[in-house]
Amino acid sequence: MAAFEPVLLANVGKPDSYTLSAYEASGGYQGLRKVLQTMSPDQVKDLVKSSGLRGRGGAGFPTGLKWTFLPANHPGPIYFCLNADESEPGTFNNRILMESDPHQVLEGLIISCFATKASTAYFYMRYEFPTAWDRVNAAIADCYRAGYLGSNILGSGFSLNVYTHRGAAAYICGEETGLIESLEGKRAWPRIKPPFPAVEGVFRKPTVVNNVETAACVTQIATRGVEWFKSMGVPPDPKIPRDAGSYGPKLYCLSGHVNRPGCYEAPLGLTVRELIDTYGGGVPQGRKVKAVIPGGISMGLLTAEELDCPLDFNGPGRYGCLGLGTAAVVVMDETVSMVDFLHNSCQFFAHESCGQCTPCREGTSWSLGLMKRIMAGQGRLKDLDLLLEIGDTIGIIPGTTICGLADGAAWPIKNAIRKFRGEFEEYIRRTNPAGWMKTDPVPAMKLVELH
Amino acid sequence: MTTTKSKRVLTDEMIAQIREFIPRYPSKQAVTLPALHVVNDHLRYVPLQAVVEIAEILELRPADVQDTLSFYGFFKQDKPHGRVRAWVCRSVSCHLLGADQVLEHMCQRLQIRPGETTSDGSLTLEFAECLGACEHAPCMLAGKDLHSRLTPKTADEFLDKLIQ
Amino acid sequence: MATVIVDGNEIEIGDQARLNGIQVARLAGVEIPHYCWHPGLSVVASCRMCLVETGRRDPKTGQIQMTGKLSPACQTPATDGTVFVTNSPNVKNAREMVEEDLLLRHPVDCPICDKAGECSLQDYHFQHGRAERRADIKPFTSRRQVLGDSVTLFVDRCVMCTRCVRFCREIVGTGELMIANRGAHEEIAVFPGFPLENPLAGNVVDLCPVGALGDVDFLYSQRAWFMDSNSHVCAGCSTGCSIRVDENQDRIYRLKPRENPHINQWWMCDEGRYGWKHVHDPARIAFPRRQDGASRQDVDWSQLPAELDRALRKAGRLAAVLSPFLTVEEAYLLAQYVRGIDPQALLVLGPTPVTGEDVTFPHGFRIHAEKCPNRRGVMQVVAGVAGEVISWEDLLAQHLSTGDIRGVWVTAGNPSPWIDDTVAAQFEGLQTLVVQDLFESGLTARANYVLPAAAWVEREGSFVNFADRLQSFRWAIRAPAGVKVEGPLWWQLTGRQGLYQARQVLDDVARAIVYFSAACGPVPEQGIDLKINQLAGVGQT
Repeated sequence: MAAFEPVLLANVGKPDSYTLSAYEASGGYQGLRKVLQTMSPDQVKDLVKSSGLRGRGGAGFPTGLKWTFLPANHPGPIYFCLNADESEPGTFNNRILMESDPHQVLEGLIISCFATKASTAYFYMRYEFPTAWDRVNAAIADCYRAGYLGSNILGSGFSLNVYTHRGAAAYICGEETGLIESLEGKRAWPRIKPPFPAVEGVFRKPTVVNNVETAACVTQIATRGVEWFKSMGVPPDPKIPRDAGSYGPKLYCLSGHVNRPGCYEAPLGLTVRELIDTYGGGVPQGRKVKAVIPGGISMGLLTAEELDCPLDFNGPGRYGCLGLGTAAVVVMDETVSMVDFLHNSCQFFAHESCGQCTPCREGTSWSLGLMKRIMAGQGRLKDLDLLLEIGDTIGIIPGTTICGLADGAAWPIKNAIRKFRGEFEEYIRRTNPAGWMKTDPVPAMKLVELH
Repeated sequence: MTTTKSKRVLTDEMIAQIREFIPRYPSKQAVTLPALHVVNDHLRYVPLQAVVEIAEILELRPADVQDTLSFYGFFKQDKPHGRVRAWVCRSVSCHLLGADQVLEHMCQRLQIRPGETTSDGSLTLEFAECLGACEHAPCMLAGKDLHSRLTPKTADEFLDKLIQ
Repeated sequence: MATVIVDGNEIEIGDQARLNGIQVARLAGVEIPHYCWHPGLSVVASCRMCLVETGRRDPKTGQIQMTGKLSPACQTPATDGTVFVTNSPNVKNAREMVEEDLLLRHPVDCPICDKAGECSLQDYHFQHGRAERRADIKPFTSRRQVLGDSVTLFVDRCVMCTRCVRFCREIVGTGELMIANRGAHEEIAVFPGFPLENPLAGNVVDLCPVGALGDVDFLYSQRAWFMDSNSHVCAGCSTGCSIRVDENQDRIYRLKPRENPHINQWWMCDEGRYGWKHVHDPARIAFPRRQDGASRQDVDWSQLPAELDRALRKAGRLAAVLSPFLTVEEAYLLAQYVRGIDPQALLVLGPTPVTGEDVTFPHGFRIHAEKCPNRRGVMQVVAGVAGEVISWEDLLAQHLSTGDIRGVWVTAGNPSPWIDDTVAAQFEGLQTLVVQDLFESGLTARANYVLPAAAWVEREGSFVNFADRLQSFRWAIRAPAGVKVEGPLWWQLTGRQGLYQARQVLDDVARAIVYFSAACGPVPEQGIDLKINQLAGVGQT
């Protein structure tokens, strides 16, 4: 397989790559100029729509299509939110883009705002990226000085203000409407939909929320064109109605038990095996893969037999995972206990559940309690059935919750127990020889609460 | 309840910084999180009195600001956090590579639990959910510095430097 | 006409109707369980108890296409062709799941919880919950926190429906209640130093579907199943909130609002809610008595009406002070009685207590400064019978001082002190002074006859509120043994036979006085707007 020439990561590693001068020197903001000078907002919308770009934040919704949901002829203001809250465990490509190439992101943001007629953009960045925070803020200031932001950008008549807004360590702020509520100064409880943000978003005005990597793709589509974008990836699957395909380059994050963890750019459709072996240099100490997260922890698990799963928007679903997610691949070798993994996953989701709706608030808390008891050697086989029941019932897909965090909590439970049931049963029998068979409710364990 | 000048916790500088955010949003409530950060950056915590004063500036009720503040679990309210706040990630990639053991090692050495501050006020140790730096697992964010591939040994080196 | 399909049954709703799944299912006789939804508050769809299956019926083909997932009924608008399925296995499983979820960390301390017997968590558990407990058992009682003077919080019983928080933010506008923390650690709280103390605070206890919010006044005083609920109308001010009186064996334990979209929506203010203490005050005048100088003699009710009648007929020119605490029927009977003796008898509208200003809340609920329930009704009766309304001030300033008036019957019934000694002294020297009141005053000290008044909950009849809305009610509790309620007393004095029939009196009033003509027919539970039949120029304020 020929090595792919990075485009999104082209500037990463170059000296001072995050400065405006370096960015312009390598051709930056030509895309923006072309758009402002030769295209109308609707034309840009059509451009992005025809490119087949799908959101890179985890949901994979076609970006151009999302932009068309904005009401036509709205008197404004229309708002744009850049979702830089990247918190999906295993994911770090947004951070790299913002630290090393913030102008690529900003250029895409400005083009997106032009297309959607947004007059104000909020760059919502999670708290834990201090370097990105400093560099993005400096980049924005440079853009104002250079005339890429502010009034009448490059004489086009289009005006845009961009403000950074700093988060405070809450995963749910990465959910579209959770971000909006957080931006408005309230607790980040995702909103019920409808209405969708395009109709009624931040400050009750039409709003588009897009991911950082999506914005970088917009830059490249504007610069290099639709044909370039569609020259890589996976065409739509004719068996799936309304399938939008998986076009363009993707930033894959690779971490866990690999020799070369890092962020790698390749067309959509790369298989997990290729990513691990070719890019990641395989598993350290010659160990074998036991399980792999395909797209951030919310997507679930692949087994060692499922490594030919292609990382496009349809691939992981065929192997029982939730989807492509953020294409953040985490490798677990044969030393990993799936019981321990699942406990870590349940701990994450219980901590991050916003608490608004009953099935998620209680389901994530209950699943953590069950995993703690199992880990402590007081588990029963019946607990596995309870965990699976929780996993099968909570989520926006069955309709029982307001947002998809619950689905993210559910899939690791379902995949871990169903694909590694034997290991769970063995652990429970071994650690609780006297009680693994009990089915009556047991008195709750005394827990030491951390934090 | 209005604030008398003698009890005031927000300095003029903090108030000015908070007010700078107001023109950016059509609603004052949107300045809540930026205001909390301004106060936290200066005081290293956000005491209840600061919540009252922020609410006054933003024409909100203290309950509104406190509601938002407490959602995040990020802002301490009883006393300032340490001069350095060290977040050790505990999510999947870091967990796989031994983050829990490193954190426990640091806790043992400092004789504090996660969330607590050393008695000399120099360091607060925290666990964090995914810091978005999984290629550096197990990682720790201390102030603005990201520490990569943390081991008990490198953690000790970090703590040694801090003591000096 | 829009047609909605609920469990296979077609329900017709108006094209203008804005109903959600819960409301339209009610029309079909189906009660969809829910915690967080309330018709008076914003829709949050967070409890997930109202999950149902939804779909659409194609208007042309009649084919039904279900969405394939569950949706909250509270956030699903019922439009033409909307299909709701509330009884499928999916829906039942979802309810079991939510109910089980809410019980996972719940103390289940029903034996010491006020809400037992009227608790949604209990009711839904039996109707929709699982038969066995599968979660770890952790018996505990709830932590308790004081939120304010009138409301207490049992923290761990809360199911996070957020009704209370939304009420304070949306209906009252004071927003004292907040949510603290995130996820399973969430709790309702107030900010230290800013307690829950708005004039409508007690409503949050009504709203709470479980025993988390408790009414400090009512706490631990009575079990829900021992109380009878009686519909009535609050007499605290001229808003005239529709309420119910919860009592057991003629002792009031609490008041709660009744839904009335025309007056109080779903709310009542704390002043009204807790304004019943005077009813059981031991200082109430308990028995009728005759007074002659310093001597006081108890009189039997079997003899007293005849004695009163003789005394009034002997007195000469009469006046009656009709209190704005009387019902319409009582005012009419007293006016008829007194005019029956003296056709020129003065009919005086009793003093109207006014405290402060009207207070209006976001969304329109209003507490009035006029702290009596029926000034408008009594005034219209007086105007209708006498052709003019003499004010209390005029009575004092003009008519009493001339010495023409020899006999006066004063009705009061104001729970607060309403007359000072100086004014009372103006009633000295009358031949016959009858004072009918709740508590002793300078006026009862000077009376020839002191009659115990009934409290408002002991009366049967109608009040007219500030917006000319007439509401009728039955008595909620029996008056104490020594009290002969005003209505039955004047029914007897005007020569009517048998038991007191307030409805008959109202018929008479509606026929005799144009202002009341809309009350000719049956009065609906939520009252009737008397303005419907107002002729121009009649019935001035």
